[in-house]
Amino acid sequence: MADYDYDVLVIGSGPGGYVAAIRAAQLGLKTACAESRETLGGTCLNVGCIPSKALLNASELFHEAKSGALAKHGVKLGNVELDLPTMLADKDKAVTGLTGGIEYLFKKNKIDWLKAHATFKDAHTVEVAGKSVTAKNIIIATGSSVTPLPGVAVDNDKGIVVDSTGALSFKKVPGHLVVIGGGVIGLELGSVWQRLGAKVTVVEFLDQILPGMDGEVRKEAAKLFAKQGFEIKTSTKVTGVSVKGKKATVTVEPAAGGAVETIEADAVLVAIGRRPNTEGLGLDKIGLELNKRGQIETDHEFATKVPGIWAVGDVIPGPMLAHKSEDEGIAVAENIAGLTGLVNHDVIPSVVYTHPEIAGVGLTEEQAKERGEVKIGKFPMLANSRAKAIAETEGFVKIIADAASDKVLGVWIIAAPAGTMIAQAAQAMEFGATSEDIAYTCHAHPTHNEAVKEAAMAVQGKPIHI
Amino acid sequence: MSKTLRPKVLVVGGGPGGYVAAIRAGQLGLETVLVEAERPGGTCLIKGCIPSKAIIHAAGLFEEMTRASSVAGHLGIRLETVPKLDLAATMRWKDGVVDKLTGGVAGLLRRAHVTVLNGWASFADAKSCAVETADGTVKIEPEHVILATGSVPVELPSMPFGGNILSSTEALSLTDLPRTLAVVGAGYIGLELGIAFAKLGVRVALVEVAERILPLYDEALTRPVADWLHKHDVEMHLQAKALGTSARGLDIETALSDRFTIPAEKILVTVGRKPRTEGWGLEKMAIEMEGRFIKIDERCATSTTNVWAIGDVTGEPMLAHRASAQGEMVAEIIAGKRRRFDPAAIPAICFTEPEIVSVGLDAPGEEHVVGQFPFMANGRALSMDAGDVGTFVRTIAEKNSGRIVGIQGVGKHISELAGEFVTLVEMGATLEDLAGIIHAHPTLGEATHESALKALGHAIHV
Ligand SMILES: Cc1cc2nc3c(=O)[nH]c(=O)nc-3n(C[C@H](O)[C@H](O)[C@H](O)COP(=O)(O)OP(=O)(O)OC[C@H]3O[C@@H](n4cnc5c(N)ncnc54)[C@H](O)[C@@H]3O)c2cc1C
Ligand SMILES: Cc1cc2nc3c(=O)[nH]c(=O)nc-3n(C[C@H](O)[C@H](O)[C@H](O)COP(=O)(O)OP(=O)(O)OC[C@H]3O[C@@H](n4cnc5c(N)ncnc54)[C@H](O)[C@@H]3O)c2cc1C
Repeated sequence: MADYDYDVLVIGSGPGGYVAAIRAAQLGLKTACAESRETLGGTCLNVGCIPSKALLNASELFHEAKSGALAKHGVKLGNVELDLPTMLADKDKAVTGLTGGIEYLFKKNKIDWLKAHATFKDAHTVEVAGKSVTAKNIIIATGSSVTPLPGVAVDNDKGIVVDSTGALSFKKVPGHLVVIGGGVIGLELGSVWQRLGAKVTVVEFLDQILPGMDGEVRKEAAKLFAKQGFEIKTSTKVTGVSVKGKKATVTVEPAAGGAVETIEADAVLVAIGRRPNTEGLGLDKIGLELNKRGQIETDHEFATKVPGIWAVGDVIPGPMLAHKSEDEGIAVAENIAGLTGLVNHDVIPSVVYTHPEIAGVGLTEEQAKERGEVKIGKFPMLANSRAKAIAETEGFVKIIADAASDKVLGVWIIAAPAGTMIAQAAQAMEFGATSEDIAYTCHAHPTHNEAVKEAAMAVQGKPIHI
Repeated sequence: MSKTLRPKVLVVGGGPGGYVAAIRAGQLGLETVLVEAERPGGTCLIKGCIPSKAIIHAAGLFEEMTRASSVAGHLGIRLETVPKLDLAATMRWKDGVVDKLTGGVAGLLRRAHVTVLNGWASFADAKSCAVETADGTVKIEPEHVILATGSVPVELPSMPFGGNILSSTEALSLTDLPRTLAVVGAGYIGLELGIAFAKLGVRVALVEVAERILPLYDEALTRPVADWLHKHDVEMHLQAKALGTSARGLDIETALSDRFTIPAEKILVTVGRKPRTEGWGLEKMAIEMEGRFIKIDERCATSTTNVWAIGDVTGEPMLAHRASAQGEMVAEIIAGKRRRFDPAAIPAICFTEPEIVSVGLDAPGEEHVVGQFPFMANGRALSMDAGDVGTFVRTIAEKNSGRIVGIQGVGKHISELAGEFVTLVEMGATLEDLAGIIHAHPTLGEATHESALKALGHAIHV
């Protein structure tokens, strides 16, 4: 039997990779993780979830203060000023706190961090910084990066045409920001700069924003964003972006073809999606092919076709979400160690951290109806007393249940803390709960979650508070 | 001339117990009369949960803005001047919220075809009730009675309410902020309000006979709140007794028998609530009591046939959602459904700074395993300035079965985790189950997930 340097080598230290590495080490496997970035944590911690949420949090408070919205609560303010450098520095602090934390966890779990890009030489050997490292098992967790828009050159340093990473660090608030792509990332980062004072125009190719979410939620969200001052151009295609001096010109036309129009902008954010990272990985050396969408296919244990090679996270099919990556990371490590690690891909919640937040888990109404008869219960946040008590009454909770069995198939929430609320729904669904189960659970008063209970009662026919 | 109503159901008291019972009864097609001396909404909507949370919210905003007016600013926000509080505007806003909600309840009662009588109900016997309304006396002889008369604040004999001595009700309707406030009783109501006033700039002193604040919760859960109080110069007098008032403020006696006066313009007494069992003929209804409370079984039936009781008048925990859950159930039982009040857990929340949530068993024994996860290691908490030292989620499970029997937490913004905690306990989840549930990233709920992993011996992020 061959001797390997490691039992497990993980390529990539995002939420998929670092979690897999920690779990493998916990299970007694000798583990290393290759990461070419200067810090651990991948997209999520460095340039994704965490910095975006920190800015969303701070910009929200700034907007509340600046807009004069606090006066109605009796809080009177003088001049409110934005200190952007400090706001950005605070964001960076949240990031370094967490990436440093992962480094500490690596040390604690005795995981070797190989600080360079890794390339396969064969199925048990990778080359990292000129050295060959061997492992019995290799987990590919290389994640994803921004999908480029043909003909549009991103330059994050210059700060005019940027991707999500650039939009986390604008040196000053752009006067007019054009966001290309009305998905989660575009809307979250658009919200940040809109709150800090930018005029924001969102250009979306499809006929509605937030692809993948429940139809009614998409419609309501569009209304709410429009109310906040977003200009949303759906069914519109960007055909080019040109930069002159400090300005950009975005050329658009109707998706179906038609008259060309130009939009002047101080900054342009390209957020049309993310694509799996496999370039330069040397997959040809191990005979691993990609599917049509450029992803690595695995079985339900996260094993690829090549023995000893596993893959998790954004680089495999499924929603590109950090928590999906993490749970796959745990599962793959357990499978390698001979335990049984499974991920239920039917119950993966997703959250949009706009204001209000938007969250969902399970099937959309459209998907559910394709499968059979459904019952739907809805409850508006306007009738929830906690929402009233903090003056955040936009949105609703919507529960989709099977008409015959009453089993909950999907839950969609628009509400200020929807991201926190969705956990309960995911849990109930993981247990195969019926809407009656949720309706008969005693919910604390006054909380937003009472709206989940009421929506479940609405599925049953009668909520109390509407 | 007095008229007599003979409805299927009479509900006495329009709080979250009574009004929910009445709406549900109406929905189920039962002819229902609700009697309420004030407007519908009860303690909860008019002088409890709702106005307190509105003021706590405003106070939180005021405090954040005060921080933004410091030299360093707050989260990149800078204020040129210190924020000013317009208390009248705050109170107007709070009153607006209360009006909307009570108005909403009135509308819901109407739509459920409930007859609402405004007046004080008193009973001659278990099935004969008279209500003094503005239009004269109405007699009611119902088939079923639901008693939901709620509770009132407990007074200290040495310091009756009035003048500078406030109950929570007056504290929620102040027209001027006192410069100094002494709070007697550091339970959740005293602390929620005390902290809100401290955030608004009032100098607050707490007096508590027990050796800790929030004596009903364990030390670990309450420590972050105590830390906040220390940091914000709230004086704490523990193991101390309030003796009475003098010209300058509140006289107290400490554990060491020292006596002195805490300077206080106003004194808020929050030493508990007692069931409202007097003044409406309870003694004539031949109903068995259990201590101070009306005795009920698991269907909320009293010792008298077809007389039911729900909410604060029936015992602890005196919480709005318990009252509502009971109300809903009794209406369904009267309509012929088979129900029992047997929740695996009733969540309790303190809207303090930071917030505390407790569900189910909170004192683990030999037969339990505990997993605790700090918010310091939770990404969402860090991204919203909520990763304070000492804050955490804790999951308690049976060692043998892994079944989760209790979950508690303390941390900023965690009140909304109550839904998740109670769902887990109610569904009989095990640690393995919780470990297998995917939690969205970045959310505070990931700490719940990790606490289960910790109990299983393999947390990832600590
Ligand atoms: C702005 C933004 C906001 C987001 N917000 C959220 C959110 O709120 N919630 C959510 O769930 N998701 C969010 N996401 C998505 C989330 O970040 C990803 O789903 C997640 O990071 C994927 O994890 P991963 O481990 O698969 O890959 P990644 O996090 O992409 O990590 C892969 C790592 O591998 C390294 N790497 C790649 N190839 C090699 C190689 N050959 N050798 C060595 N190292 C290599 C890369 O440098 C990278 O650090 C957001 C993304 C962005 C961009
Ligand atoms: C400051 C404060 C904050 C609180 N915060 C919370 C919280 O955050 N969460 C929580 O769960 N709980 C909270 N509570 C407790 C909550 O308000 C009570 O548990 C809840 O209101 C009890 O409901 P109930 O229906 O039993 O009685 P009540 O709400 O007390 O209602 C009883 C009603 O009956 C009426 N009534 C009584 N007798 C008669 C009669 N003879 N004739 C006519 N009408 C009559 C009264 O006028 C009253 O309106 C708080 C309480 C206070 C004081």
